[in-house]
Amino acid sequence: MEIRSGRGVRTRRAAAVAPGSAAVLVATAAAADGSAAALQPWEDTTLLARLAGQFASLGIERVHVITRPGWAEAIGAVAAVQVHAGAAPADDLRAIARVADGGGGALVVAYADVVTQREVLAGLLAEPRLATGVLTTGGTIARPYGFKTRARRGRIVSAGSPYHVVRNPTGTFLGVLKVAPADRPGVGPVAARLAELLEPAPPAEWQEELDYKAGHWRRMLALLSMERERGEPVPPREVLDTAPVAPADAAELERRRAIAPDDVTALLLVGLIRSGMHVGASRLRSLFWARPGGPAALEHAAAEIGEHDEDRELLNSAVKGADGFFTTFFVSTYSKYIARWCARRGLTPNQVTMISIAIGVVAAACFAYAERWSMVAGGVLTYFAFVFDCVDGQLARYSRQFSKLGAWLDSVFDRTKEYVVFAGLAIGASRTGDPVWLLAGAALAMQTTRHAIDFSFPASQHQVIAAAPQPPIEDSFDGPRPASRQTEAVDADEPEGEEAPPPVPVRMTMRRRLGRLWRAGDRNPQIRWLKKIVAFPIGERFAAISISAALFDARTTFIVLLVWGGFAMVYVLVGRTLRSLVS
Amino acid sequence: MTAATATTTAPTDRGSVLEGYRDDGQLATAIGRALGRGLRLPAIAPLLVAGLPLLVAIALEGSGASHGLVAAVIAWVVVLGGVASARPLTDRLRWMVPPGLRAIEYSALLWIGAVAGDDVLPATFALLCAITYHHYEAVYGPRHRGVTPPAWVRALAGGWDGRLVLAVVLLAAGALPAAFYVLAGLFAVLFVGETIAEWRRFHAGQQPVYDDEEDEAD
Repeated sequence: MEIRSGRGVRTRRAAAVAPGSAAVLVATAAAADGSAAALQPWEDTTLLARLAGQFASLGIERVHVITRPGWAEAIGAVAAVQVHAGAAPADDLRAIARVADGGGGALVVAYADVVTQREVLAGLLAEPRLATGVLTTGGTIARPYGFKTRARRGRIVSAGSPYHVVRNPTGTFLGVLKVAPADRPGVGPVAARLAELLEPAPPAEWQEELDYKAGHWRRMLALLSMERERGEPVPPREVLDTAPVAPADAAELERRRAIAPDDVTALLLVGLIRSGMHVGASRLRSLFWARPGGPAALEHAAAEIGEHDEDRELLNSAVKGADGFFTTFFVSTYSKYIARWCARRGLTPNQVTMISIAIGVVAAACFAYAERWSMVAGGVLTYFAFVFDCVDGQLARYSRQFSKLGAWLDSVFDRTKEYVVFAGLAIGASRTGDPVWLLAGAALAMQTTRHAIDFSFPASQHQVIAAAPQPPIEDSFDGPRPASRQTEAVDADEPEGEEAPPPVPVRMTMRRRLGRLWRAGDRNPQIRWLKKIVAFPIGERFAAISISAALFDARTTFIVLLVWGGFAMVYVLVGRTLRSLVS
Repeated sequence: MTAATATTTAPTDRGSVLEGYRDDGQLATAIGRALGRGLRLPAIAPLLVAGLPLLVAIALEGSGASHGLVAAVIAWVVVLGGVASARPLTDRLRWMVPPGLRAIEYSALLWIGAVAGDDVLPATFALLCAITYHHYEAVYGPRHRGVTPPAWVRALAGGWDGRLVLAVVLLAAGALPAAFYVLAGLFAVLFVGETIAEWRRFHAGQQPVYDDEEDEAD
C-alpha cells in the first residue's frame, strides 16, 4: 500500500472482502526468455509477490498459484502462497474448481503477471454495489491481445477468450475476475466442464478461432506500425497479411500465441457468463495496468507506472463518468479538490453527506424566511448543498471508502435535500402572502414520478438482459455465426470494431429508423450535452432552484421546475417508448 | 448436460424487481382477481383508462369539484387500476406502470387536498413526502440492502388504492387537514422506523441488486 509522505492520503484503509476470501493467480504464462512471466523481477521482488501482497492487503486470506511443474519450486519460494502444479490447462481448471468448492468468501481469479496499482484492485474488490465482476477498460491499453467484453447496463453479457469471439465489444477484460460469495458455488461446475472440453484437445471450432485471432493480432500490429492519416481507409486484408511487423512485435506475437491456450482465466469468465452468472464490471479509467512479457516491457511498465501520478488519477477517476452538464462544468471541476481535502482531514463520506444535508436544511430555512437577502443566501447555500452532495461520492471513490449504508444515505438525502428546499420555499411564500403549496406538491409529485421512470426503465431492461439465453460454451460465437470472416474489417481508429463480424443486414422498419434517428445525435458532443440538459438532471435542478429563488421568488422557482421537468418527462417518455418498441 | 453446456436462462430474481415497485394494495389486487382475469392487454392500458377521467376532472373542475365527483372519479381509478394489477409486467411497456401509478396517486391526492381547501394543501404536501419516502425505499431497499420491505409494512401502508380510498373518506368526513397531518406522521414513523430496523438487521452478506452506476437516478 502506497501511503504518501507528508500531506499524502492517509485515510485509505484495507478494503473489506468477506471472510474466507481466496485468490487464484494463474502463473502458467512464459515470459520472452521462457521462464515464468509471473516471476519476472519488479523492484526488489517479483510480479507475483507484488500482486499477492496487494491482494493480501485487501483482505484476501489465502493466495493459490497455478503453475507448471517446472516452475513450482521457484513459485513456492514466494511467501505464503499455495502452489498447484499441473501439466495442462485442464489441470488448471480442475485446480480452480477445487479451490472454488473448498471454501466460502469471495474468489478472485487473475493473471499472475499483471502490474497494476493497488487502488485498481481495491475498486474491483471493495465496491459494495459490485457483486461478481471483472476489471475492464474501454480504452486501448491491452491491445491487440486483450480479450473483449460486451456490457449492457453494466452487466457483462459476452466475453472473449482465446477460443471465443465477442460481437460489438464495448471493452477489454484485464485479467482479474472477482466472484461474490453467493456466486462461488457456481464456479466449480463450470470449471470442471471446461476441463472436460479441453481434453484430449479443444473442440475444432475453438482451434479455428484461435488461429483466426493470431492472424487478426498480426494484422492489427501491421496496421499500427503503418503511418496512416486519421480516417484514411484501412488497407485490405491481403495487404495487412503481408505487411511487415517490427521484429519485437513479431516475437511478442509469437509468445502471446503460445500462451493463449493456457489462458484459463478468460476461458473461465466466458464459462461463467455462458452459464448465466451476473457479472458486472469495474473500470480501469485512467489508472495503470500492464502485462509485461519481457525486459523491455517491464522497463516500459516501470517507467510508466512511475510517471503515473496515482493520486491525481485516482482523483480524476473519482468523478462519475455519466454526470450532467452543470455538474461536469460548474461543480466537478473543483469539487474533487474538496474531496481530497476531506480525505486528508480524515473526513468520511458519510460525514460529508451530513454536511451536505445540513447545508440543505439551512438553505430551506433561508427560503422560509423569505426576505430578499435570505432568498439570495438560500440560493447560494442550495448550490453548495449540491456541491457537497457531489463531494461525498467523489470522496468515497477517491479514498475507496465504500459502504452500502453510505450509498443509501447519499441517495435518500439527495431526495430529502431537494424536497426540504421545496418545503422551505413554500413556507416562505405563505409568509409573504402568496401561498404556493399546490405548486410545491405538483413539483414534488412530478420529480418523484420522473424518478420512478428512471428506476423502472432500467429494471425492465435488466429483465430483458437476464432473460436473454446465452449460447452454449462450445460455441465460439456469441450470436449468429458470420457467413465468412474473410471480409472482416480491421480498423485501428475504431477501438471497439475490431472483432465485429459484418452486421447481418436487417430490414429497415419504421421502428428501426426512429431508433436510429434517436441515437444519431449522440455522435455530436454538443447534441449529447443538449440532450443531457433537456433531461433536467440533479445538477440542473439545483442550479434552477438556486438561481430562480435568489433572483425571483418561490412561485417562479416552482413554475420553472414544473415547465422544465414536464418537458424533460415528455422527452424521456418518448425516447424510452421508442427504445422499448425497437428493441 | 451440465449447466455450462445447456442454453441457460439467468435466475429470475431480478425479474421481480419491477413488480416490487407497483405498490398495489389489498383492495386493488382483490379487484384484479375478480375483474382482471380475462384481460389480455398490457397493464399500462387499463391504467391509462383509469387516469383519463382523473385528468379531465382536474382540468375542468379543479378545486371546485363536488365531493360526489371526487368519490366517483377515485372509484373509477381504483377499479381500473385494480384491473391493471392483475396483469403481469411482461410486455414491452411494462416499465410505464410504476410511474403511471405514482402519477395517478400523487395527482389524485393533490386534487383531493385542493378540493378540501387551500389550508389542506400543506398537509397534503406533508402526506406526499411520507408516501414518496415509501416509494423511494421500495427502490433503495433492494438496491442498497438487497431486501424488499416486509409484507406487513406494505399492508399497513395500504397501497396506492387504499390510501386514495382513505383520502376520499377523510374528505367526506370533513377530517382534513388534521387527518392528513396525522396520517403523514404515522406513515413517517412507520416507514422511517422500518428502514432503521432493517439497517440494524443488515449484515455484509446481503447482496445489492444493481451494479450499474448509470442506474443511479439523478
